[in-house]
Amino acid sequence: MESKWRKIWGLIGLLLLNFVNNVSSLSLTITKVDCVYEIVRSEGDIVSGNFVVVDHHIFWSSDHPGIDFSITSPGGGILHNLKGTSGDKFSFKAPRSGLYQFCFHNPLSTPETIAFYIHIGHIPNEHNLAKNEHLDPINVKIAELREALEAVTTEQKYLKARDAVHRRNLMIRYLYLDAANESTKTRVIGYTVGEYILLTIASVLQVVYIRRLFSKSVGYNRI
Amino acid sequence: MNEGMVFGGRAACFLPIILVLCLTRNSNILPVAEGIWLTIPSSGTKCVSEEIQSNVVVLGDYYVIDENNPDHIPTISARVTAPFGNNLHHNENATHGQFAFTTSESGNYLACFWKDGSFQKDSELTLGVDWKTGIAAKDWESVAKKEKIEGVELVLRRLQGIVETIRGNLIYLRDREADMREVSEATNARVAWFSIMSLGVCIAVSVLQIWYLKRYFVKKKLI
Repeated sequence: MESKWRKIWGLIGLLLLNFVNNVSSLSLTITKVDCVYEIVRSEGDIVSGNFVVVDHHIFWSSDHPGIDFSITSPGGGILHNLKGTSGDKFSFKAPRSGLYQFCFHNPLSTPETIAFYIHIGHIPNEHNLAKNEHLDPINVKIAELREALEAVTTEQKYLKARDAVHRRNLMIRYLYLDAANESTKTRVIGYTVGEYILLTIASVLQVVYIRRLFSKSVGYNRI
Repeated sequence: MNEGMVFGGRAACFLPIILVLCLTRNSNILPVAEGIWLTIPSSGTKCVSEEIQSNVVVLGDYYVIDENNPDHIPTISARVTAPFGNNLHHNENATHGQFAFTTSESGNYLACFWKDGSFQKDSELTLGVDWKTGIAAKDWESVAKKEKIEGVELVLRRLQGIVETIRGNLIYLRDREADMREVSEATNARVAWFSIMSLGVCIAVSVLQIWYLKRYFVKKKLI
């Protein structure tokens, strides 16, 4: 009897994990407006996520307005509205269950690539605990532990995306001086040596000019 | 969440049915809405991508969601490509599909969806995409069966897997940062070296000038 209940709770545990594991991490290229939808299964779930604009246009031109981001709840109300960002984190407690929209608006016409990550976490709370005596309190603690780990994972995805963007910007900026590439190496060295030669020629010309100033008979021009 | 919690003696009866319903990925029986929903425009393709390292298991599942006419669901075509152009999965005229592969190289993996020509309505199509990489794609049921663990122990194993993934990500981020720092330092060293060299050439040339002119004036008996 005891082992049968253990098996049943084991299967229920598996079922619970099947539903709790709600993560998605992707990159999307948006032209004007693009929306991503997610279903939140029960009210009170914590929805957390982040997004980073991968394109470097925003970093290069300081007058780029940035991307607008908005979260709409299933009732139609706007939960979050961020204007002109190049990446941000968000986290909220879902007021009701249903379909949530995460929309990106691009004010300019150049397509932008956005890497986003959304995680919906559910913790069976103590209210259910009181109603159903069969729910083991350890499941609540395990769910909390799991949500804490998922929070770390969410933060890591954000850091990874930002690191990729910074790395790309740095590589573009350093492309001129990155002498790993053979053609840039010869070009850079050529420019530098040319600069030195120019400097030497200018100084030699200066000396020649001063010599000519003094080459006429000294009696006439005593400078 | 309450759908998964059945108590009392009925658990044994309902559980297999619910298990079967939840684990089959057919939206017509029980729409298991995991993952995000995207809209596919009436013209053009919608592509999602992710930057994945090598040797990572990727599991994908996509299904068309159309509540308007359940008898005549519009069909889509899908294609998944590796970073160097190899075609990993191709499907035409389907309402749902699955793909699984292990990445052989690290790079940008792209999954593109587009509407089929046979169903040219002007409406947008909603597509559910369930994209899992790494630890989220691991088949825990087979692990439970193989090692005969269940319940809390299985859940803790999953948490251990998540922790190991977090540690791997931390090491990866740290290595990337060290890389970037090295590149920055090398570039800064190169910039500093070039500036000091040009300054040195400037000073050397001016010292030579002054020395030569002094010798010249002394020779010409002006000083």
